[in-house]
Amino acid sequence: MEDLIRTALAVVDAPGVLHSDVRVVAPERFVSLAVRNGAASALTDSRAQALGVRVRTDRAWGFATTSDLRPTSVREVARLAIRLARAAGRNARERLRVTDDPAPTGGRYETPLRQDPFSTPFDSIVELLASAEKGLHVAREVRSGIASFQAWEENKWYGSSDGASYTSRIVHVGAGLTVTAVRGSNVQRRCSPASHGGDFSQAGFEFVKGLDLDARAPEIGREAVALLDAPACPTGPTTLVLGSGQLGLQVHESVGHAVELDRIYGSEAGFAGTSWVSPEKIGNLRYGSDVMNVVADATEPGGLGTFGWDDEGVPAQRTPIVHRGVLVGTLSSRESAAQLGLRHSGGTARASGGDRAPLVRMTNVNLEPGDRSLDELLEGVNEGVYLDSNRSWSIDDRRLNFQFGTEFGRRIVRGELGELLRNPIYSGMTPAFWGSMDAVGDRSTRHLWGLPNCGKGQPIQGARVSHGAPVARFRNVAVRGG
Amino acid sequence: MPARRAARPSEPDLAAALRGLPDGTSGDVRIVRSSSTTIRFANGRIHQPHLERSTHVSFRVEDAHRLATATGSDATDVGLRSLGTTAQALARIAPVERKFPGFKSPTGRGPGRLAFSRATAQMSPEAATRIAEEVLASAQSDAPGGRVAGVVSVGTEELRVANSEGLDRTAARSVAHASVLVQRPDLDPPVSGWSEGAHWDASRLGPARLGREAAERMPRSTPVAVPPGAYPVVLRGPAVADLLRFLSHLGFAANGEVEGWSCLARRRGKKVAPPTVTLTDDPRSRDSIPMAIDYEGTWTAATPLIEKGVARGVVTDLLSAGRLGRPLTGHAQPPEAPWGDYGPIPSNLLLAKGDASEEELVRATGKGLLVTRFHYVRVVDPGRGVITGMTRDGTYVIENGEVAGPARNLRFTESVLDAIAGITLLGKERRAYSDGGGAVTAPSIATRSFRFTSATLF
Repeated sequence: MEDLIRTALAVVDAPGVLHSDVRVVAPERFVSLAVRNGAASALTDSRAQALGVRVRTDRAWGFATTSDLRPTSVREVARLAIRLARAAGRNARERLRVTDDPAPTGGRYETPLRQDPFSTPFDSIVELLASAEKGLHVAREVRSGIASFQAWEENKWYGSSDGASYTSRIVHVGAGLTVTAVRGSNVQRRCSPASHGGDFSQAGFEFVKGLDLDARAPEIGREAVALLDAPACPTGPTTLVLGSGQLGLQVHESVGHAVELDRIYGSEAGFAGTSWVSPEKIGNLRYGSDVMNVVADATEPGGLGTFGWDDEGVPAQRTPIVHRGVLVGTLSSRESAAQLGLRHSGGTARASGGDRAPLVRMTNVNLEPGDRSLDELLEGVNEGVYLDSNRSWSIDDRRLNFQFGTEFGRRIVRGELGELLRNPIYSGMTPAFWGSMDAVGDRSTRHLWGLPNCGKGQPIQGARVSHGAPVARFRNVAVRGG
Repeated sequence: MPARRAARPSEPDLAAALRGLPDGTSGDVRIVRSSSTTIRFANGRIHQPHLERSTHVSFRVEDAHRLATATGSDATDVGLRSLGTTAQALARIAPVERKFPGFKSPTGRGPGRLAFSRATAQMSPEAATRIAEEVLASAQSDAPGGRVAGVVSVGTEELRVANSEGLDRTAARSVAHASVLVQRPDLDPPVSGWSEGAHWDASRLGPARLGREAAERMPRSTPVAVPPGAYPVVLRGPAVADLLRFLSHLGFAANGEVEGWSCLARRRGKKVAPPTVTLTDDPRSRDSIPMAIDYEGTWTAATPLIEKGVARGVVTDLLSAGRLGRPLTGHAQPPEAPWGDYGPIPSNLLLAKGDASEEELVRATGKGLLVTRFHYVRVVDPGRGVITGMTRDGTYVIENGEVAGPARNLRFTESVLDAIAGITLLGKERRAYSDGGGAVTAPSIATRSFRFTSATLF
């Protein structure tokens, strides 16, 4: 692979090219095993490879990629990357600026594994899934059960024209259950341990064993059926206690994306959108209440956003984003950090593979725990609802107006969790919502959730990110039954 | 480009790879060769140009009703053998799928020559960049002070599929897509306008028109706040395309029918919209992004989804056709994960157009809202077809049958079934909008009532 990188870098060592970097991801392995209603569902073993060449002139970037790793093909895409950059820069008026960051030389990052998922016999995994899926079918109303397992292995070689280089092997793994109960047009779904395919971690198969899918299955099967007869969530402003899983997604949508510096500068305006945060407000914007503290931590063990260096060769970092309710930092790349006048990148330029150029992406964007136990959070609620497990999610293109549906709710009466509620929806505006957070759960309520499907960019890139989230309490939130 | 049997001398021998499977085992192989150039622009300059050449191979094996797939990037004979071995190993441990009907032999006639643009498929990076520059220049000249962002994407995808029953078909499509946003983020509240289009021939994208249209749609006055509630609406093409995508996933995808959660599960053969509404999935249409075969090599064909207001059946692939006992419609996605919860889905939706101009749609609406597009649409309740999303990039108040001025954006939460049931008029112009590899082709519509559940600050 080093030879291929040298081959590409030699081609792009051309007039007008100020900087170039090359990434080879080979193999990029993905195994997906799933059992759906007793039958196999798209059992897949995938091994892809790609090389991407990125060049920068004083006016523009160019990126070209191929899945053909023969030297002739590599030389061709390297030449195409230069042509693209020259064409893109033809009418550019402003010079590109990037930060000057320390470059790794020969670094290596590897996921620590106790049990390599790719060495784990797949038949034992399918057996585990089949058993758990069977456990979901607790009543005739259960029309669909899914038990799924996924594992990714990314082997990466990075080299740049300024002599930087590193290699890495990163393994992500996870599993989950989904059950759907149907009665007429009343469709109720429950997932465990989380929606969006389950829970995921940068870890070995030991993580999947720890999920104990077999034990979870009958419980969520019964809940899905019970939801068919549950009363609809009441409508009106109320006190909302959000479970850790849903709160993780809330952080993702209304904090994580909003603080991506490329969005703030309009680079994503034509697709994903912009942000309600403007550059001059970074450092003084009131984002939420005093108990709100958020960090982007690419060093947290187990996170899907944990790595040695990002895809520009910048080291992983832990960056405060919101401190006591004030926005103090952002997610950034070398280009966007330079736009803001920062000396260094925040090290969050990530590409979904060798076939994509790096973009500003989330790493592990975490809401820091507070000091309340779950019981203490509930004790402060005379009347309210507890919601968890995401069912629908939507937010506007500036990350202000959001609406989330959850799979279930529970009524809270005088500090006690009560009856099951179906089709709960809550909505709000980002700063008002975070401003209404009056208590945050302690470390015992916190979990680091892996989210494997964050979409951004054109062509689309799917990033795997994590969110550490405790349970938290919000006052006066608009809630209704859908 | 006509569908044809593969004959390139450098092509791998798929028949040999399939013959190499053990007795009692069968399979199919897909080779997808893609070439594309994507030119993104923002803040008035090209900021993310991307060129891609890729090969994706997928080998599915069936062993005594046990199915599994291996995929990779190596389309040589050696690569294929390796994938075949991997898929066999995985199939041996798969739970049994009794409803899989087996691979199909190559019967039936192909669609003949479908629309294809060689110039689009082989477009140089410089030519693609020039299209983006044209969009940019047009938008900037028509909206001085506006900040312009968007994308132009051109390319081709060639798909070859072979199976153990002797099927070996190749087809290709050419694809061009552009979208453009013009915004004034410096205003309070910020305002923006949008346009987009897709075509199989890049020379017919009309980049200058798209830029001009986006600029025209950007409000020139301050948007007013509109209280949430149910309003009659005119939905422009991009908004209609979103509605149809979700209707097709929730109502016409195979898995929803198999598992009983389709919002149309109990309404097939019944009236769900006025007789003016006819929705077809037609991967052969020149008004879409045509493709002659699906990912199982089945010839594509027009599939009626709503005929004169009456809901018809779902789309299928081999497995779902077996499970449902219904005909194969040629809507297979690649058999490997991840392909979501829906299973086979319509890929080339076409909503029949009507005869109303946009002015006539607005006039007939009287009092309500004009919506250009939606953002971040998601499913709230699949059984009732309820979805939610935001309006974006050009929302206007309609009063006295005229566009009275811009409105701040709103969140809708509405059933797609209610939205199509309430259609009163269809526009006379329709356009294709990019949708994965295919397209949604739709006119603007007027619908009687659309429920907005909250408002935003801009």
